[in-house]
Amino acid sequence: MPAFTARLADAAKEKLQTVQAYFALGGRAIGFIFARPFYFQDFVQQMDEIGVKSLGIVLLTGFFTGMVLALQSSVQLKDFGISSLVGRLVTGSMIRELGPVLAGLMVAGRVGSGIAAQLGSMRVTEQIDALNTLGTDPIKKLVTPRVLAALVMLPILTIINDFVGIVGGNLIATLLIGIPSGQYWRTVWEQIVSGGFTLRYIPNDFIQGLVKPFVFGGIISISGCYFGLNTTGGTEGVGQATTRTVVLSSILILVVDYFLTQILLSVFAP
Amino acid sequence: MMDDVRDDSDKGSPPPPRADQKEAERRQGGRRVAERKSDSVRAAIRTELDDDAPAAAAQAADKEDRGESDAIIELEHVNLAFSTPILEDVSFVARKGETICIVGESGTGKSTTLKLILRLLIPDRGCVNIDGEDITHLSFVEALEVRQRMGMVFQGAALFDSMSVFENIAYPLREHTKLNDDEILQRVREKLEFVDLEPDKVMEQLPSELSGGMRKRVGIARGMANNPQIMLYDEPTSGLDPLTTGTITRLIKKLQRELDVTSVVVSHDIRSVFNMATKVAVLHERRIAFFGTPEEMAASDDPYLRDFLGGS
Repeated sequence: MPAFTARLADAAKEKLQTVQAYFALGGRAIGFIFARPFYFQDFVQQMDEIGVKSLGIVLLTGFFTGMVLALQSSVQLKDFGISSLVGRLVTGSMIRELGPVLAGLMVAGRVGSGIAAQLGSMRVTEQIDALNTLGTDPIKKLVTPRVLAALVMLPILTIINDFVGIVGGNLIATLLIGIPSGQYWRTVWEQIVSGGFTLRYIPNDFIQGLVKPFVFGGIISISGCYFGLNTTGGTEGVGQATTRTVVLSSILILVVDYFLTQILLSVFAP
Repeated sequence: MMDDVRDDSDKGSPPPPRADQKEAERRQGGRRVAERKSDSVRAAIRTELDDDAPAAAAQAADKEDRGESDAIIELEHVNLAFSTPILEDVSFVARKGETICIVGESGTGKSTTLKLILRLLIPDRGCVNIDGEDITHLSFVEALEVRQRMGMVFQGAALFDSMSVFENIAYPLREHTKLNDDEILQRVREKLEFVDLEPDKVMEQLPSELSGGMRKRVGIARGMANNPQIMLYDEPTSGLDPLTTGTITRLIKKLQRELDVTSVVVSHDIRSVFNMATKVAVLHERRIAFFGTPEEMAASDDPYLRDFLGGS
């Protein structure tokens, strides 16, 4: 029995150290944003890699999610005779919840795995050691540009995702439900203003919808970098690193989303 | 030694039955071939020594006379363990312009020793002095600065595969010098010519487009781009054909001869080691089993060394 508890304690200690190393990596990467030298070219390259190249899947996801939301909600709202409020429902769901979460999950699959695979390959082919021996801090050169690019690009991708989702909803509302386009957009605006404003001009829904992807960007990039940099065991290890990145990022996005929603709703109570 | 032991045991065994006579003769023949091979390896080593030993000895003596025999790399009673002990009480000194070759069986801590010199690892006990400064207590940032004085050539070259050959070699120059683009281009061309590569042909190529030997040479060019005083090589000739092995060995000697660089080479290739080493360190069971000149090593009666050389 004492052996069992000792093993349990060791396992717990190991997990705790992993969590500590994960946050330490994130902390150092964010700390280096303001430290010289700045790898601006790497940052721009990563914005392209994380943001521009993810545009296609985000557009598709957002558009079809908006359409299906409109379709499903019209059936429910029809029972209460308020089909005209489809625009409000689509907008609220997309901006507050589905836009950030779906963009996050899509990017976790595409970008998180890419980051882990790239850094993992660099680790197993000794390129990370080479950076170290050439007097470069790999965190500053490789992790910081990726984390910063993800922090910037995830909110932008989410805004695009929200917008095409609302446009998709408009398409269904106009063509299948029979709501005039002008009325649909009026209900969209009503939803946006209904949550109130911060500093008179910034809708609270927008703040809620943009805090989340900012956090998700950090989760995806730090997870990818953490598992990539800690890859062991050759090409098989690279595969494991990518899988772990996608699984952890996706789970963290869904779990953190709940707690963030709790906090944001208490701060921005309608 | 191992051959001797086997011969003794054979003498004590009963003669093989008539039916197995042919098999016994075949085995005997195989053993004789192995012995001849072992002798030929030792003969080849002696040839390498005969060619270069006087020059190397004269060079070393000359340096002693000029008072240039300062320790550049010094390991003092280094101990390192992960889950099991890796190195125990490892000590050796590399003086200016010397090439120290570390040899030994796989998994004896040769590459780990290089990582200690680079301060990628910190010893549990003991000191690693670079140019008289103990680097074991340096912070991460201070260690990065120390590493700028060293060039490292990795076993697989470890070139950045997203960058061209030019960008790979220019990388340390862009990171740590204030050279302008023209000066960087000039330096890259100079280093590529030093490693016998044609700059115009290879500069824009990606590492994936190069052969193994070319990648190693680009790795050496990148390692020496900043004109470091120390060069470290991890298995520089592994996986290469004999001709390319000779080219890489000549390059390492050229670096020592022309630029007076202090080098530490980890290698399994005993012929190359005898060709380029000023001193040889043999790692065996976590400790330095031998540290001395190649001549001393070849003349040693130590059973392990004789076995190691014969079996190489």
